[in-house]
This record gives sequence, C-alpha cells and structure tokens, in this order.
Amino acid sequence: MRSGTYKETYGELIALTDSRLVWFWGAALMVVLAAAPYLVNAYVLSLMTIMLITVVGALGLNILTGYTGLISLGHVGFLVSGAYGYAVVVSRWGLPPLAGFVAAGVVPAALSLVVGAPSLRLRGLYLAITTLAFAFIIDNLILQAGPLTNGARGITVERPDMLGLSFASDAAFSHLCLAAAILTLFGTLNLRRSRIGRALVAIRDNDIAARAMGINLNAYKLLAFVTSAFVTGIAGALYGINLSYVSVEGFPFLLSIEALAILIVGGLGSPLGAILGTIFIMLLPEVTGSLLRLFGTQAEALFSTGAQELKSTLYGLVIILFLRFEPGGLVRIWHDVRRLWVHWPLRF
Amino acid sequence: MRFLAEILLSGLAIGAIYGIIAIGFAVIYKTTGLVNFAQGEIAMIVAYIAWTISTTLSGNVFVVTGGALVAAVLLGLVIERVVMRPMLGEPVFSTVMVTIALAVILRSSINFIWDAYPQALNLGVGRDIVRVGAVGMRTGQIAVIVMLLALLAGFWLFFRYSRYGIAMRAVAGDDRTALLMGISTGRVHAVAWAASAAISGIAGIFFAITYDVSPAMYEIGLKSFPATILGGLDAVIGSGFGGLLIGVAENLAGGYLGSGTKEIAGFAMIIVILMVRPFGLFGQRDIERV
Repeated sequence: MRSGTYKETYGELIALTDSRLVWFWGAALMVVLAAAPYLVNAYVLSLMTIMLITVVGALGLNILTGYTGLISLGHVGFLVSGAYGYAVVVSRWGLPPLAGFVAAGVVPAALSLVVGAPSLRLRGLYLAITTLAFAFIIDNLILQAGPLTNGARGITVERPDMLGLSFASDAAFSHLCLAAAILTLFGTLNLRRSRIGRALVAIRDNDIAARAMGINLNAYKLLAFVTSAFVTGIAGALYGINLSYVSVEGFPFLLSIEALAILIVGGLGSPLGAILGTIFIMLLPEVTGSLLRLFGTQAEALFSTGAQELKSTLYGLVIILFLRFEPGGLVRIWHDVRRLWVHWPLRF
Repeated sequence: MRFLAEILLSGLAIGAIYGIIAIGFAVIYKTTGLVNFAQGEIAMIVAYIAWTISTTLSGNVFVVTGGALVAAVLLGLVIERVVMRPMLGEPVFSTVMVTIALAVILRSSINFIWDAYPQALNLGVGRDIVRVGAVGMRTGQIAVIVMLLALLAGFWLFFRYSRYGIAMRAVAGDDRTALLMGISTGRVHAVAWAASAAISGIAGIFFAITYDVSPAMYEIGLKSFPATILGGLDAVIGSGFGGLLIGVAENLAGGYLGSGTKEIAGFAMIIVILMVRPFGLFGQRDIERV
C-alpha cells in the first residue's frame, strides 16, 4: 500500500505526474493508438479519427470553459471559421497545407478578439448569449462572402501533403489527428501548470479575488479566448478535411452542445475528463443504436430516420443527468474507483 | 413611403411576438435569476399541441387556445418540478446548461412525436386582411400587438399590486430573506415557470395562426433574446417594448440591406447592446459587493 506522498520542491508540485507507471501506460497507449490504424477495420478507424479530432476541439473549449469558467455556446463558430480558413487558403488560393493550418488557427483567434472584447464585461449568462449570437453571425457572414467562400456551395478540400509526408490514406490521416491530439493534450496540460493556467483557474474560482491578487482580468480572459479559438480552429480544419468538404451545413449548432456535453460528462477543467468525455459521448449514439437494433426493425427504422434527433436527445439527457447526479463527471468517478482500488479495504 | 409603412407594421407584428416571448424570459429571470434557453422550444411545443387539438378534437378558437394554454401551464410545472427544482442552489453554469439541454431535448422531441413538415394552424380566424391606412395587415397580426399591450399592462399591475407579484419580486431580490418572511420560494418558482410557459405558449399560438407550425419554430426563442437583452433581462415591461424595437429594426434591415442581414440584425444588436449597456435599457444595474 502506498503511503502519503511528500513534495519538497515547487518543481515536484507542478510536475505532470509523479508516477512512472502513468508515463509507462501513457506511452503504451500511444503505441497502441499508433498501431491501431493497421489493425482495425475501416469503420472503427473512421470512428477513431473523428474521436481524435473531437478531443482537440474539446481540449480547446476546455481552456475557455473548463479553466477560465466562461461559457461559450459559439464554439461551432470557431470550428467553422477554422475549417474555412484552411479551405480558402489551401483549396482556393493553392498555398501549402502548413499555411492552411496556420490560417485555421489565426482566423478564429482574430475573430475571438472581436467576440471576446465586448464579452469581457459580461459574466455567465450574458457571455453564453453573445457567443450564441456569434455562432449565427459567422454562418451568415460565410454565406454572404460568396466570392471568398463559395457561399452555400462550400469548398472541397483534399487530404494534406506536407512536411514531406502524404496524409492521403486513412491510416496516415488518423496519425496526423493523433499527433494533433497529443500536441494539444500536452499543450493544455502544460498551460494549466504555468503562471497563465493558474491565473485562468483563479479567475474561474473567484474573479474578484483574482483581480485583488494582481491578475489582469481583461488580458487573461482575452488570452483564454484567443488560445481556445486557435485550438478549436485547428480541430475545425481537421474536421473539414475529414468531411473532405467544408460547408456551413457540415457544422451544425449541435456541435457546440456536443462539446459542452463532452466537458460536463468528462468533468469540467480536466484534460483527462475531456478525453473520457469524448469517448463516452462519441460512443453513446453508437451503443444506443446497436441496443435499439436489438429491439427489431421498427426501432432500427426510428434510429435511421431520427439519428440526429436521437443524438441531440441523448446529449441533452446526459448533460442533465450528469449535472444532477455527478457534477464532477467521469474523471471524478475514475478518481473514486482508483482510490477504492489503492486503499481497499480502508475507506481513505 | 408605403414600403416603409409596410415594413414598420409587419415589424411591429413580429416584434410583438418577440416581445411576448421576451416577457416570458424576463418573468423567469426576475424570479429565479436564470435565463431559460428553452423558451422558444416551449412556444413551439404549445403551438404543436394547439395544432393537434385543432385537427383531432375541434377547430373552435376557444377550445384550441384554452386546451393549449392548460397544456402549457402543465408543461411549465413539470419542467420546474422534475428538471429545475433539483438544481436549486447549484451554480449558474449548471442551471443554464440544464435549460440548454432541455431546449435540445424539446427541439428533437418534435420529430419523434409529430413530423418534420410544416403545418398550418387553421382556426378560421386571424388570416383576414384589413387595411390600416394604405397597408394590408392580417387580423392576427393586429391581435398580437393588442395582446402584447394587454400582457404588459397585466404584468405591470400584477407585479405592483398583487400579493403574489410582490412575493415574486421579493424572491427575486433575495430568496433567502423571502423564505424567512414566510414566502414559499419553491411555489413562487413553480408559478413563474407556469406563467412563463403560458406566455410563450400564447406567442407560439399567435405565430402559428399568422404563419405556420414547423420544427424550425424554436428560432423565435433565439430571436427574442435581443429583445430581452435590449429591454433588460430583469425588466418585464422593458422586454416587451424591446421586442417591438427589435422586430422593427430587423424588418428595416431586411427591407433595406438584404434578407441575409434580417436574420442576423438582432444578434448583431445583442453584441452592440451588451457592449454599451449590459443591463439593458430598462434593467437594473448590478452592483456587486466584494
């Protein structure tokens, strides 16, 4: 049985983990994920790719909603502007994909300054409403800016070919998504333990106290907005490439709800929670679908005609149930299980 | 000139619907301190219930509206009891997320219970054209403006003079003190939800009579946000008038700047209003004590 752990330096306190086991299993997981594209069938591979992309987006929203405590209903706006940033630069202007990814991050980041600046004065409810408004405005602007964005017809995008590698095959593209997910994971984990991350969490927990401690609220809130939009934009570009077609219809408002559901189910403010939440939320419609199939053809017909509606109902239900019964999310359940495993038969 | 008059009058008519829903937002915000994101969805469900009554039971105006309003009150009470009451005392983030989740569920329930096609709610009233000056208006459009004014007057009197209205204001001001004064905050919340559902139901039925019922109807809830933000989230009367202003502004933008602008005029206004006067034109400024 492990006894209490004692930290003697600040370095130990903010280390990502003090356990070699975690590094070992993390590395093992990476190896499995890297090898998986060659072992699983096409359907599982596509599900895995979309999950990895969603992890990037969820971690992006986590910076804003989880760390800083600002609700955003408009993240689908950053997602779609990132996708268009990539599509316009690469497919229409013919620039290299790397420039496309830069644009996919920079365009939403610039837009986030426009939404973020007025919402600095607002809290909770009002911010949810402004970001909601932003999501609708951005869709409309894209439809209006026909010469640049092709209006309602959308833009076709190809799998990228960059850094001397081709990401055209499904397996290679899922590796690209895996790399993006790992980079984002370590990026947000390291952000959390830096001065910036501590400031953001202080703002979330009590903004007046944070201000009294000398944290510049406006600057840090804007920084959270910009970082979050940048990461989300990259996820949007990957999402667009995965769809191979970028249009306003490809990014329904439900994606915003999905992202919030992921954070709530996983546990707000925890990168591990964002990952667990993604797995839960992405598998939920699949599992429900196969359960319904057990009930025969009628239930299956309901699933195929109302797939979108079923999905939104499930998201709504899990949000309500988790907020009501387990506000800490899956990550709390995971910690409880781990504590039980380590300390059993003692309670603490 | 005639074009302008037409735009203004139809703007007032749609603005009155926004105004009525905005009153619904304000009633809930005033008593429970949260924004109900499911307001438009409730309006849509009530309109669908009205349509079901009109096609299955009877097409009589009073039967349909009466039945639909009873259903609206029940819906409001059930939502409050089952979904919102357990969340009492939780942080704003959680309660707001719950109403958003509720909105998503109600929105998709339309496709399970009814279907995805637009339907006309035909009660034999409200579609006749009358001439107002040089412009033709539907009687339903005029009725909804009158309804808004009646609701505004009613709520003003209710909050000012009735025992329950004063109890609601007390709960809004400080629910713990109100509880100590012997007001049942739970019951006040229930009444607020029921009233707000009935109000949105009225707006939904008027919308259905003048236009039609469709699964996209919940958008009137989103479009009423600017109204309640403009008027002030805690200002019932202000929200009502905010609706009229937003309706007219939206139609002016649609008429002179192109139809795409009409869809986002209200949302663009939200951002501007929140930058200039976050508490709305008639709302109370929040003063925070450290």
